[in-house]
Amino acid sequence: MAAPKRNLKRRSPGLRRAFPYLLLTPALLYLVAITLYPGIFAIWQSLFDVRFQGWTFIGADNYTRLLQDREFWAALGNTAIIGVISLTLQTAIALTVSYFAYRDPFIRGWRIVYLMPMLFMPSAVAFIWKLAFNDGRVISNLLIRAGLIDNNVDWIGNIWLARMELIVADVWQWTPFLFIIFVAALQGQDQEIEEAARLDGASWPAIFWNISLPMMRPVIVVAVTLRGIDITTMFTNVFVMTQGSPGGATETMSYFIYRQGFKMFSFGYASAASVLMLVLTVIVAQTVVKRAFRSGKSA
Amino acid sequence: MTTPRKKPRKTRGESLILRYVVLGSWAAVCLLPIIWFGTIAFRPRTEIITPTPIFWPTFSLDAWYLLISDWPIAKYLRNSLVAVAGSVVIDLFLAIPAAYALARYEFRGREDIGFYILSTRMMAPAIVAVPIFFLFKNMGLLDTVWALMLVYAAINLSLTTWIIRSYMLDIPKELEDAARTDGAGDLRILWEIIMPACLPGIITAAVIAAIFAINEFLFTLLIASTPNAYTMSVALANFTGGSDGVIYNAIALVSFIAFLPILILVILIQKHLSRGLTMGAVKG
Amino acid sequence: MTKLLKPLSRRAFLHRTAAVGLVTGTGGLAMPALAEAHLPDIQSVLDSISVSGYVRADYRELYSMNDDPLWDPAKDWIRTVDWDKVRTELGGTTVRFAIGAADQESAASGLAPFEALSGIKVELVPIPDDSIYDKAIAEFISGNASFDALQFFSAWLGDFAGPGFLHPLDDYAAKWALPLDDFYDTYRLNYGYFGGKLVGIPFDCDIQMVHLRKSVMEPILGGPIDLANSVPSYDELIRITGEANKLGGGVAGVGMLGARGFWSTYTWEHIAAQAGMQLFDENWEPTLDTDAGNKGIETLLALSKNAIEGVAGAGWGENRAAWLGGQVAANISWQDSGTQAMRPDQSQIVDDFVTIYEPRIAGGVFAPPNIAGSTSVVTATSQNPEGAFLMLAFLTTSSIMAMNEANANGVAPGYRSVLANEKLRAVSQPMKVWSDSLDHAWCSPRLPGMFEMEQALGNEINRAITGQITGKEALANGQAAWKVIMERQGFYGDAKPVSYADASPGTYVGAGKPLPF
Repeated sequence: MAAPKRNLKRRSPGLRRAFPYLLLTPALLYLVAITLYPGIFAIWQSLFDVRFQGWTFIGADNYTRLLQDREFWAALGNTAIIGVISLTLQTAIALTVSYFAYRDPFIRGWRIVYLMPMLFMPSAVAFIWKLAFNDGRVISNLLIRAGLIDNNVDWIGNIWLARMELIVADVWQWTPFLFIIFVAALQGQDQEIEEAARLDGASWPAIFWNISLPMMRPVIVVAVTLRGIDITTMFTNVFVMTQGSPGGATETMSYFIYRQGFKMFSFGYASAASVLMLVLTVIVAQTVVKRAFRSGKSA
Repeated sequence: MTTPRKKPRKTRGESLILRYVVLGSWAAVCLLPIIWFGTIAFRPRTEIITPTPIFWPTFSLDAWYLLISDWPIAKYLRNSLVAVAGSVVIDLFLAIPAAYALARYEFRGREDIGFYILSTRMMAPAIVAVPIFFLFKNMGLLDTVWALMLVYAAINLSLTTWIIRSYMLDIPKELEDAARTDGAGDLRILWEIIMPACLPGIITAAVIAAIFAINEFLFTLLIASTPNAYTMSVALANFTGGSDGVIYNAIALVSFIAFLPILILVILIQKHLSRGLTMGAVKG
Repeated sequence: MTKLLKPLSRRAFLHRTAAVGLVTGTGGLAMPALAEAHLPDIQSVLDSISVSGYVRADYRELYSMNDDPLWDPAKDWIRTVDWDKVRTELGGTTVRFAIGAADQESAASGLAPFEALSGIKVELVPIPDDSIYDKAIAEFISGNASFDALQFFSAWLGDFAGPGFLHPLDDYAAKWALPLDDFYDTYRLNYGYFGGKLVGIPFDCDIQMVHLRKSVMEPILGGPIDLANSVPSYDELIRITGEANKLGGGVAGVGMLGARGFWSTYTWEHIAAQAGMQLFDENWEPTLDTDAGNKGIETLLALSKNAIEGVAGAGWGENRAAWLGGQVAANISWQDSGTQAMRPDQSQIVDDFVTIYEPRIAGGVFAPPNIAGSTSVVTATSQNPEGAFLMLAFLTTSSIMAMNEANANGVAPGYRSVLANEKLRAVSQPMKVWSDSLDHAWCSPRLPGMFEMEQALGNEINRAITGQITGKEALANGQAAWKVIMERQGFYGDAKPVSYADASPGTYVGAGKPLPF
């Protein structure tokens, strides 16, 4: 965008140059305080063995211990596994549903129905699924009634079933997020190209795959990136539903850091884990997200 | 873009049956758990966790009585309201000038600053949780709504800035130029021209920030530890630990109480929702 | 179970006691200082601390409780202490009491009778329930605690007492005739003494027990359940829970705590103690991976095969819900499972269960486990340690503790005179077996770092329960983690935080005693 011409006769050139920075300063100060300060604090604290006010300098010991900690690597792996599966599923479902929904005049008025799961508090959603899967045996019972299984399922005793619980809760709640964005993108695209293809005799899957999807690509990238960021910080569902059982197979990075800090009271160690996660975040931010938003802008 | 592959035979387009099967079944997936959870709110505790689930429970207002008689639910609602509303005000106060600068001025570092603001959205709460905990502890703000307000504002500042910036970019420059020839200064233009013109963006940003703030859990859990600062989100978790065990009917009831205002807010901004949720990157 | 793990328990209790008509303020924290001249008549205050004032009306009606005491008035400290002397010596002073913030308002009304009796003003310092440990440590280390007294999870006693953060209470206990000998040894030694000094007054006195559903287990056992002999051993428990598990109908064989963290540790400790397990040798080397420890985890894993689905995620709340909801035929949990199951407002198995004597393990000992619980302490930096001591003595006096039990709120009395009370036994089904068991109790020593160790071991045991590693590997991993933590705490240096000789007598109090059945 070209620089807008400004009529700043009455201002000194210095003030003129400084003006946009002045506008930004309050927001930046606030963000720096709330991100940079904790970042530096975390790096500093990660060099200590912290027993509350008793800080003992131990250099990089927390990091070497962390890199040898099976639970740390497990948490990293779990976060990736749960995140990738969950994100893939909700993207696929959202694409499918939004494709069928966007032109439908009847659904248009009832679109809010598809958004409802997203409007529940995440902690409430975690309890819905905890009751349905575990405490209330509801899903086991439905499967038994359907004749699919004979006995109640031990969801939380099995690594993959427990991860599936978390994935189901996440997909249920957040597919609507992608759905509403995809619907908007589909509505915004040029209907004529599609119409032309239809007249040429292309089948609807072919139209979707070859025309709609490529046009939506920038939108998909932005939406999936945002969702991906949120999934990697998954905490609430783990806290309410599994607390990391079975044997840590559902412990995400966020829950690992929380547990080290606020359950084991090893704040230095928790900070070291935070710093490593921060480094990962910065790398992802500089590569994936920056690119996603640049291309997203042209959408 | 690839050209569509031509099929040798003509197809009749998508089938309406398939369309409604897909849409109907996903609507059921969305709604049935909510309806079932609604029945939990109106059944006695003894019919929630049973050897086999009870699908046709006795009607009971136990959860209502519990909420009204034993729990300071009004206090939790008030805390949520104060912290969320306060945070949204802080956000708008900081985000509107920042968005204006990013949208309307050319200056060195604009892209980088904009991206820095965006990237704070990516911070995992767990990363900053421990330092923030110590920060508020040192400030003596632990367990206050003020701390929650500041944290919610920080979480949503990037979002509000980017949403508002996106709407500001859409405003035709001619509007400003006319005012400028009349001799209006930059701040007056922002106040009198830009802000009214991007009001939908500001409202969208405020609503989405409010929803995220209402739902925030980890920080609230760490910072709030008494009814002094409990919000609806953490109050829920409070029904889980006592000698009374997990009180699901109360949890269900509380979650519906919090759900209704959010539903109304979302219906209000439904048209702008997708744009807001992508921080302005996708125009709905 | 403890206040920490069940923050509601005391809240609910104190809330219900707010009816006692002694609150001088308008509620909340605003309580005017009581000038001595205006203090009410001592006897009338004491009379108001009664069943009708403290026990829930529906429970009083259910069990036809009249106003007869559920305790022995001769051993009830508040009725034996010289309140006039208290008023003379300490009236007008202030005590700052750190309390879980959720309890704050209700505690204010619960403590109003104390203020009326003593003339001591209580200021509450609300502490976030999740942060009590953190906050307390921070305050202790700063050398200037903002409070005089607090109550906490007894597993932390070592962390607090080891570095000398707690005020010795021996002199006050002697001066004010605290009935320490009325406490069971296991509580006095583990929740009271550290390194030979009295530093705490036991508060929530827990024990883990085994509970059986009659309707399921009597057919399997072929007759009415004998509390001591029907299930004499864990082998038999494994057998009958296996049988029960086959019956279906939504009732699983057994429930127990198998979640990560300390939950799994407690279940393993419970069972391994019956195999004669002790956690440490005399050099403070952890001895988890031993014959007894392995027998314990093998038994636990065998039981877990018959356990309810979801046992790997069961903490206290999940376990309690499953038991009271009728989803399990047997339960391994705290004594309050056996009290709360009697209460029809919370339970679907009201007359259908019984709490039995701890099953035995061949070659082991009868050692019912005293696990978790909480204690009350005075801080070393307290400005008014004596007043703080008196307030804690009031809160833990036998009449109030007895009425906690009658309310089934999970805060358990640890007094012989209370547990022997026939009227209280009528409203607390497990109490006879429970009181017999306490003379043989096993307890883990309260060491600095113990809470961390319990978490680390529990995570490993949870992996074993879910089949990711063997039981032996879990114990070996846990033992290695314990060594590291103990090393950090200085157990292998010259200045040990606590000597083995001081800690070991509390770990098992049943040696050489005849069995109670």
